[in-house]
Amino acid sequence: MYEAISIEEMNKPVVVLCNEGFTSDARSAASSRGLPEVRVVTETIPCECSVIEQAEAGISAAMDAIVAAMTRPLTAEEKSPRTEVEKPSRIIFKGDPEDVNRFFYRRGWTDGFPIIPPTEAAVARMLAGTDLPANHEVARIIPRLGKATIEKIAINAVMAGALPTYLPVLIAGVQILMGPDSSFGGWEVSTGSWAPFWIINGPIRHQLRINSGSGVLSPGNIANATIGRAMGLIIKNIGGARQGIEDMGVMGNPMKYTAVIAENEETSPWEPLHVEHGFKKEDSTITVFSPNSYYQVIAYSTEDKGILSTIIYNLGPGRRDGDTCIMLNTDHARALAAGGWKKKEITKFITEHAYVPFSHHPYYWGSHVRESTQKLFPVNPHDNILLVPDPNRLRLVVTGGPGNFMAIVRGSANEFITRKIELPANWDELVMKYKDMVPAHARY
Amino acid sequence: MDSQYEVLSPWAEADPVLLRGITPRVTDLSGKKIGLFANSKQATIPIMAVLEKKMVERFPDSEITRYTASEQYRTLQMEGKNRSRFEEWVNEVDTVVAAVGD
Repeated sequence: MYEAISIEEMNKPVVVLCNEGFTSDARSAASSRGLPEVRVVTETIPCECSVIEQAEAGISAAMDAIVAAMTRPLTAEEKSPRTEVEKPSRIIFKGDPEDVNRFFYRRGWTDGFPIIPPTEAAVARMLAGTDLPANHEVARIIPRLGKATIEKIAINAVMAGALPTYLPVLIAGVQILMGPDSSFGGWEVSTGSWAPFWIINGPIRHQLRINSGSGVLSPGNIANATIGRAMGLIIKNIGGARQGIEDMGVMGNPMKYTAVIAENEETSPWEPLHVEHGFKKEDSTITVFSPNSYYQVIAYSTEDKGILSTIIYNLGPGRRDGDTCIMLNTDHARALAAGGWKKKEITKFITEHAYVPFSHHPYYWGSHVRESTQKLFPVNPHDNILLVPDPNRLRLVVTGGPGNFMAIVRGSANEFITRKIELPANWDELVMKYKDMVPAHARY
Repeated sequence: MDSQYEVLSPWAEADPVLLRGITPRVTDLSGKKIGLFANSKQATIPIMAVLEKKMVERFPDSEITRYTASEQYRTLQMEGKNRSRFEEWVNEVDTVVAAVGD
């Protein structure tokens, strides 16, 4: 859409052709760039259509509308749009908790779950998590280029139920998403429903009690739950990526509520993820990639060959040879290590031995073929094609509790990015203040 | 009585965007150079192939020229090494149909 707007800015008339389900998305993109009256013609051709007859039928049905949009004189509104854009005041509402929640929900500012009312006092407490001033702008988050000031990040963090000690993690998260290596702008609104998946390393895991053990992705831990949740609210309320309007995920993704894990560095037989990628063990880091699928599979056996076989035979074909995180628990990691396997050898093994017949792969069907991927194609449909030819697309993370399950988290070409978390001067004192935030489960 | 909370807005500010009108249209398509822009998404390829055929049928004295974006997310056509190729193409046409989305 931005290319279409660029063409208008070069004083050439454009008609945008898009699937009827994407009209809101197109209009939102156009408005955000100052061209709310861009002419959009909708068609009913299936998304990612590869059948010429479907394209023929759709274009035939839309042809008159296309020609009319290309030639009809401009209306007064199209010449001089007067769209009003609301600028909400800083203090937006007053009410009891139920009224606040309903107000926020009706404004489209929640994820559907109740929020903690972001009062001045609650936000002030949250701001203790950083030395940066409240009006410091960390980034501008696409698509609407909303200003991610420390205060706005803190407001969304309060809403999510985060503790002030999580604020440094959230600031680092925003910096990663809008950093130069990130393709966040594409995946956050994609039909693929890619969700940010956050992996925490270093001492901060214990300081914030981020779960790396049993049920690492299950509900129940405030850090795992609210760090991811806050990032989702930030993406929505600061970046403006909203379900069905800008975020065009087809099926959606429960990981958009939260997907935060810590690596179990203490029980892992290998180097932790952040040390593998150039950080010191004592650094606290956050890594993100953006998968849209997560599935668990029971290991075929508890010795190395069975564990490796489980991985290679349960990777599914995807486009762009997607970024993949293999979540291994301590038992599986130790079994592999006992067999002499290091992380690099495991990823090399996976790249060489995870394959499917070419006819089972989307590329065979013409799905999203590019010049770079065509080089991988076998000659015959029964020949094998590698599923993850690039070992840099794989990460192994030791996490989870005891048992015989592993998890495969699969993305696209959305890269793994790791960033160090910067901490405030009063960090130790802040950590001590919230050290008792631990559930006390009744025995029965 | 329930407590009353005064709450802050989570909706971020963004710099105001100058609203602009769209470019005047050509009065008819006969004899024009019509550009068909595809944003590299899979469906845009067959769609633009069909649209080109139908444009030629309807406006046989017009010239159709196609541009397919080479990358999607990292480098938009208005940036980086594709910029001059993109600008050159836009400058040559009279009007454009751009296929976007999936």
